[in-house]
Amino acid sequence: MKTSLGIALATCASLASTAAAAPVKADPGTKSKAVTKPIVDAVVAEMERSQRELRIPGAPKPYFFAYKLTEVEVNDVAASLGALTGERDRHFVNLEAHVHVGDYTMDNSNFVDGRNENMDGVVSMSLPLEATPSLARRAAWRTTDAAYKEAIAQIRTKQAQLKKGAAGGVTKIGSYSKSEPVVSLEPVLVPELEGTDHLGERAAKLSEFFRGKKNVRTSRVAFTSFLERRWLINSEGTRVHDTRRVSGVLITVSGQAADGQELNLYYSRYGMVEADLPSNKELLAESKRLVETLDKLRKAPVINDYAGPVLFEGDAAADIVRYSLARNLSGTPLPVGIDPNGEGKRFGGSLLKKLGLSVLPRWLDVVDDPTSNELGKRSLIGGFKIDDEGVPSQRIQVIDNGRLEKLLMSRTPSAKIARSNGHARLSMPGGVYRGSPTNTIVTSRKKLSPRALERRLIAEVKAAGRPYGLIISQIDDPAITAQPEINRLELIRLWRAVSSDGPPPALVAYRLYPDGRRELVRGVLVDPFEVSAWKGLIATGRTNRIKNFLASTDTPLLARARGVGSGFVPSEGVESAVITPDLLFGELSVSRSTLGRRPAPLIPKP
Amino acid sequence: MAQTSARPALLAAAAMLALAACPRSDTSPGPQPPNGGDGDASEDGRILPPPIPAAVKLQRIKPLAGHDPSARSPLLDHMLAENKRWATSLASAPVPAYFIGYLIQDERTVVIDATDGGVINNADIEDRSVDVEVRVGSPELDNLRTLHNAELEALTSLQRVGAMPFGTDREAIAHHLWLETDRRYREAAARYALVVNDQQTNGSQTDRPPDFSHEKAEVFIGKPASLSIDKAKWLERIRSCSERGHSPANKATRTSCRVQFEATTNYYVNSEGSQIQRSRVNARLIVSVGVKADDGQSLVRVEQVFANSPEELPTDAEIDKMLALVNKDLNALHAAPVVDPYVGPAILEGRAAAVFFHEVFGHRVEGHRQKEETSGQTFSSKVGTKIMPEWLTVYDDPTIIALNQVTLNGFYRFDDEGVRAQRAELVTDGVLKGFVQGRDPIKKFPKSNGHGRKEPGLNAVSRQGNLMVETRRSVTKAELRQQLIAEVKRQGKEYGMLFTDITGGFTNTSRLGSQSFEVTPVMAYRIYKDGREELVRGVDIVGTPLTALGSIISAARPIETFNGMCGAESGWVPVSASAPSLLLSSLEVERSFSPNDGGPTLDAPSVTNRSGGAR
Repeated sequence: MKTSLGIALATCASLASTAAAAPVKADPGTKSKAVTKPIVDAVVAEMERSQRELRIPGAPKPYFFAYKLTEVEVNDVAASLGALTGERDRHFVNLEAHVHVGDYTMDNSNFVDGRNENMDGVVSMSLPLEATPSLARRAAWRTTDAAYKEAIAQIRTKQAQLKKGAAGGVTKIGSYSKSEPVVSLEPVLVPELEGTDHLGERAAKLSEFFRGKKNVRTSRVAFTSFLERRWLINSEGTRVHDTRRVSGVLITVSGQAADGQELNLYYSRYGMVEADLPSNKELLAESKRLVETLDKLRKAPVINDYAGPVLFEGDAAADIVRYSLARNLSGTPLPVGIDPNGEGKRFGGSLLKKLGLSVLPRWLDVVDDPTSNELGKRSLIGGFKIDDEGVPSQRIQVIDNGRLEKLLMSRTPSAKIARSNGHARLSMPGGVYRGSPTNTIVTSRKKLSPRALERRLIAEVKAAGRPYGLIISQIDDPAITAQPEINRLELIRLWRAVSSDGPPPALVAYRLYPDGRRELVRGVLVDPFEVSAWKGLIATGRTNRIKNFLASTDTPLLARARGVGSGFVPSEGVESAVITPDLLFGELSVSRSTLGRRPAPLIPKP
Repeated sequence: MAQTSARPALLAAAAMLALAACPRSDTSPGPQPPNGGDGDASEDGRILPPPIPAAVKLQRIKPLAGHDPSARSPLLDHMLAENKRWATSLASAPVPAYFIGYLIQDERTVVIDATDGGVINNADIEDRSVDVEVRVGSPELDNLRTLHNAELEALTSLQRVGAMPFGTDREAIAHHLWLETDRRYREAAARYALVVNDQQTNGSQTDRPPDFSHEKAEVFIGKPASLSIDKAKWLERIRSCSERGHSPANKATRTSCRVQFEATTNYYVNSEGSQIQRSRVNARLIVSVGVKADDGQSLVRVEQVFANSPEELPTDAEIDKMLALVNKDLNALHAAPVVDPYVGPAILEGRAAAVFFHEVFGHRVEGHRQKEETSGQTFSSKVGTKIMPEWLTVYDDPTIIALNQVTLNGFYRFDDEGVRAQRAELVTDGVLKGFVQGRDPIKKFPKSNGHGRKEPGLNAVSRQGNLMVETRRSVTKAELRQQLIAEVKRQGKEYGMLFTDITGGFTNTSRLGSQSFEVTPVMAYRIYKDGREELVRGVDIVGTPLTALGSIISAARPIETFNGMCGAESGWVPVSASAPSLLLSSLEVERSFSPNDGGPTLDAPSVTNRSGGAR
């Protein structure tokens, strides 16, 4: 997919849920000034003309048109040591045309031509920030025409490759599923963005805390405030509007251990608006905790290679769900042309063949629920009303009593699931959406208190005759913590040393000894493990941990290679949440990592 | 490979330029070329153009003009202090560093884009970055020496700027300088180890000049620039521009207008004692129209004006002239036939000749290209040799701010290595004299002439600033066309070519590819023997530099200027090139690549515009 904007936000987004459940604060928000009814009508009028008249003699005919109008406003700030390091406000409107040629049983979509990945039947361009129907219609005309021509080239190559036997050859599985039209164009109001001046002052003030902190090498505080309005229109009659709104904060610190190993820690929270985020007092307490942990990590020993029980607690439990389980919940087949053992790995899909089979212990359920946006008093940012293909979102019981009942679907059917269940979010190469996790909720019936969970871990350790067990409390997110001091040569070395489909390194981990003593360790890298390892879960905690984050199809290594740029809250990825209790695995293996070792600075900080 | 994305400025529109914003300027008539003889003939018997006195009015700003110590920012003190702390320590480190340079750049960029009557983009961005240069080893051999292994070279080249807090808080600024210096020193030391190993394994050139030249420390404090613009007014002007240019009478399916303002302040210190605070305001207005030809070729016509302040940009009436020109040209291009491959005589009109010189000559007299073993070194052994007609003189002078009242985009006071901008003599009376040079010395040219340039985060290399091509012989433009026709007849050709506008091009200076150039003219005409002219489209000019320069046979004043941005290994830098129109006895033209996906399938939708009228 290509965009004339070059800004990832426009293409990676989903909507937050809107009307009913949303904890909308005092500000009722405003309607869009850029995309009004006459704008939507202009796009519809051009779509209808294309339905009637758009044909190239001798070429496959278009049978399906879809348009996504996206208006994005985003304010970002980042600060370090009491001063702002970056401030950015963006506002743009984008029109994206999707054209499918052929018919529902065999069309151009879900196919990647390795020679030209951009040839996907999807073309987008910018629209003005003020409503100008004539320009919207011209944009629809130009993008439709270009998308149609791409779709023709795409289907010709796809058919030729299927005939040659690619992806098992021509099958009876359709290309695109039908969907009931949905009409819901009422304006959806959400609170306006928090301003950059206000966010900047807050970030600068909070970042002062790190001044003079002896062992802190880098630190930053960043806030974001994000609003996306979207309109989905298609030739089946769908006309829907939805809006989402997210505010977020992150705090990062880094330092060096005595042996020179790079140490990173971060804290991040998202909510619908700034008021959902922790208070300054809470953020200062978190900052203090980060510095204290960093100080301890400097002196912590590096772990040796380990195989045995591992307890993921807190954010780390949510992260291991995110990196291992959730990414495999998609039921969308990989696009033809993507190597399932190569690039395809980053899109998950390990559960595709296990529908109806037991994949978790019987006392565990997994639900993916985009229809909710709050749990207790905490926001869940993965919710939305209508997905990226105009299909209403649905709560899906993916795993029931440990058995894989359903998978998350977009309108691209698989051999086993023919219809969408409203989970089209992450866009894929080949011009389609992937059925994607939203708010993923893990529910357990084998719950233990924190102390009981530790005792259980110790019991496992003793039974196996091991000296200690392992507890992981935080896992890295390279999109937040990546340091710039890594050149391409180092990246290549890292690429060779670390599997690209494993979870990122643990940032905070402990050895738990039989006498109950915890010892902080570093250099903990959980080896890649198959989804089947989840069957070896022993027990879970009692408390549900909630983690909101941006899910991207980038591997952690790719995120590290991209770096954090200006240090803003990352905007690559779709809003997601994981809700899970702490998780005790029976056996995982862990490697000792000495990556990121660098000489100490020759002179102290100024 | 070096690339130019040059969009010629509109001479008429830019002629209103004034230098009110600059602290001091001196106006000089430019170099007076030695007199030539009348009615001479060249060696091949062609009649030379008659000698005429120079007619170039140059405005220069001396690098130190406007030095104002009272405008000094505390940033410079924080930078000096941290630089000194590191330099003292690193001088005696196990792997010593001998040079540390700090550059903090403040930049505010305002961009307004409108297409077909709607504002698409309205951005106002303030940015601050830090770029730290650490040189490890010695000036004779340091960490920036190119490695023989091209793959390793590419993998270890760093392209990065560091974060730097806004404001002048000492602790925050010093901390980030410390952090970035630590990173850069470590990277430089690691890279130096690779260099030493490479020298031992792959051998070193014993007669190779050093890697870094010693230069005088400079101190200059200029007042920091700020932008004062009426954004609401500009939003409406740009929106209106894109609406006025969009008419059903024209072929264009897209009309875009854009204004861009930049206020940049660079704070530079180095371990040799330089302290430079320099500022610049740039303003640029661009109008552009586009359409797909019936065979699917994308046609675009662009005009742009560069200025030193928002006030110097064109008035609405002048913008209308620009719109009329690009639409007239685009309508003609839409109807024009695709060019046939051709070799024969051709005229490059002023701006086209300027781009041609920038690509074909300028990139090949960049000093560092005479040194790298993989570089073509087209002119390395030609110093003192005649490489073009003796009535042509070429130099590069970044201290010129305006030529014939047109702003030159390549103006600066100090280069990005802290060296004072100077005129570099390149060709005098047709004989190659020297190169544009940064602090990377070459044989017989041990010093910089103030042309070390870069985008923050990259390593500086020698780059062009304001390239000037002077002629001391000239005919009129009408006479030049007659000379073209005479040459066409003489060579027995059906027609000659005339190029009036070139958007840019690229030139390959590496030995790893063919030593050729390619420039892309937008407005190219066939000139027939009877004087008739015919516009053609889809043209690329291709060739090799020595042949092309050797085929210049006549010139016509006035000297015209193209302003643009030039991209190469050290990033994008503002440049200009100025040249008279030139007649070449032989130039090769080929069809440019064009994706053939046809024009739009359906006619443009018929809808009403903002004021209700039909489009």
